[in-house]
Amino acid sequence: MEITTATRDGATILSVAGRIDTVTAPALEQAINKEIERGNRKILLNFSAVSYISSGGLRVLLATAKKLKNPGDKYALCSLAAEVNKILKLAGFTTIFFIYPSEGEALAGW
Amino acid sequence: MAATIFSSLLVLLQLICVIVVVAYLLTRSKLFIDVLDGHPAIKTQIILILVFGILSIYGTVSGVEMLGAIVNVRDLGPMVAGLIGGPVVGLGAGLIGAAYRGSLGGVTVVPCSLATILAGLFGGIIWLWFKRKFCGITVAVLFAILMEGLHMLLTLLIVRPFDQALTITSAVALPMILANAAGMFIFAFIIENLQNERRMQAERDTLLREMERKNTELAIAAEIQQSFLPDTISQIEGFEIAAKSVMAKEVGGDFFDVIPFEVIPLKKGTLGIMIADVSGKGIPAALFMALSRIVVRVNATWYMDRPAMAIRNANTIIAADSRAGMFVTLFYGILEVDSHTLTYVNAGHNPPIICHAEDELLTELTATGIAIGALSDAEYTKETAALNAGDIVVLYTDGITEAENAQQDMFGEERLHEVIRAFRKLPAQEIIAAILKSVQSFCGNYPQSDDITLMVIRVK
Repeated sequence: MEITTATRDGATILSVAGRIDTVTAPALEQAINKEIERGNRKILLNFSAVSYISSGGLRVLLATAKKLKNPGDKYALCSLAAEVNKILKLAGFTTIFFIYPSEGEALAGW
Repeated sequence: MAATIFSSLLVLLQLICVIVVVAYLLTRSKLFIDVLDGHPAIKTQIILILVFGILSIYGTVSGVEMLGAIVNVRDLGPMVAGLIGGPVVGLGAGLIGAAYRGSLGGVTVVPCSLATILAGLFGGIIWLWFKRKFCGITVAVLFAILMEGLHMLLTLLIVRPFDQALTITSAVALPMILANAAGMFIFAFIIENLQNERRMQAERDTLLREMERKNTELAIAAEIQQSFLPDTISQIEGFEIAAKSVMAKEVGGDFFDVIPFEVIPLKKGTLGIMIADVSGKGIPAALFMALSRIVVRVNATWYMDRPAMAIRNANTIIAADSRAGMFVTLFYGILEVDSHTLTYVNAGHNPPIICHAEDELLTELTATGIAIGALSDAEYTKETAALNAGDIVVLYTDGITEAENAQQDMFGEERLHEVIRAFRKLPAQEIIAAILKSVQSFCGNYPQSDDITLMVIRVK
């Protein structure tokens, strides 16, 4: 798994590539937490290159959602592959996250 | 001339060999650990003073005559002594070296003796400056160069007539500086190596301790998990229930990813069944599993006829306790003997599969709510599935479908469906064995990274 961080329109975009499993999930959690600690509280996760996410990965997504719920915070996922979307949907997580087809559409509302 | 230089070089080489041996023996000895820690004991300090004092004397004795003057490394011992042992050690070694030099006399006796004492003292001051630690190769070598420069300057200032002082210093300045710098480099290099080695050793020890702690944690978590597995599975008239939990052996992965199946005796003629999967691993996950299991069990017993309410309540309690984003996917169902039905709530769990005896068609019991712990005010609904004689219900955790082979292909739902269809006529226990065997042969030697839990219900 690789993570690339970029800033766009005041939002921090973490583009993840590869598999988010039990082994790699902690690295994603650290990367996200680092941004939040820096005061970046508009976080968009671009999952266009994510092929698989395990329940350990879902836990990271959920933990982040619990951190970013102050007024003014933004948190969304975008560009999910069908397989990843299916995993999120199975656990019912598509209803609690903001999920957008693309970065542009996600940032349009921020 | 060439022969003189050659023999001089040989003597210098011999000198360097002695320095290397002393440095090696010293750094390998136990007392040096004391030295590296920055607080050498009195005994250590005395040993250092003697060793480097003798080295300083040796530096004088081994001096090489060059163009009528003597090139020596007398100052090296006290310099090193100061750099690694502090001002007292440096000064002590310097005084020994200076005393011996003083006994020899000659025109340069005062500046040479003085320089040797100062070498030890300044080395010690540098040691203090670097917070009682060795200053590193660069500073040490630079110090040796400057110290020998000062040595020459003292000679020029003190020795009279000045012309003689100038003749001597111009002859020996460069070789002296080079010889002392080279000697210092060797010493510093060996000390630095030793420090690196010690640091790596310390890191390795920390890593080993960390691994040991992890293993202990995994063992404890496994024990917690194991203690919640029912010894026997309650049966109910009209159904044949079998279940099995295969924990991952290897450290890492979602070792503790599963709340094992659960059979809850409800009122007569009904039986609660539960399969669940906790996100995360280790003791936190195991404790979360224990908590969730009890909370769901209590609520299931309390709201015996209202499974959706039971899960809703359980979720509210568990969500309030889940700060690290931990959640549990759970399927809770009630088997009813009279009506031959399975009433269920699926909280984000992998859909159990019903294989119908009549037409071999498969039905998935998909989610009726979100995973437990994710959202405190989540809503859950119940569904009811009709069961007929010969039907098979397979409940599983994602350790089955996400089992991987060496190519990182996953076992997947398709393969699971095939196995269920192929073995649907076997007793429940044998269907479980067949599924596990199929997963195993798919994965080959690739280690199981996640717990696998399976429950199969055959309708009689």
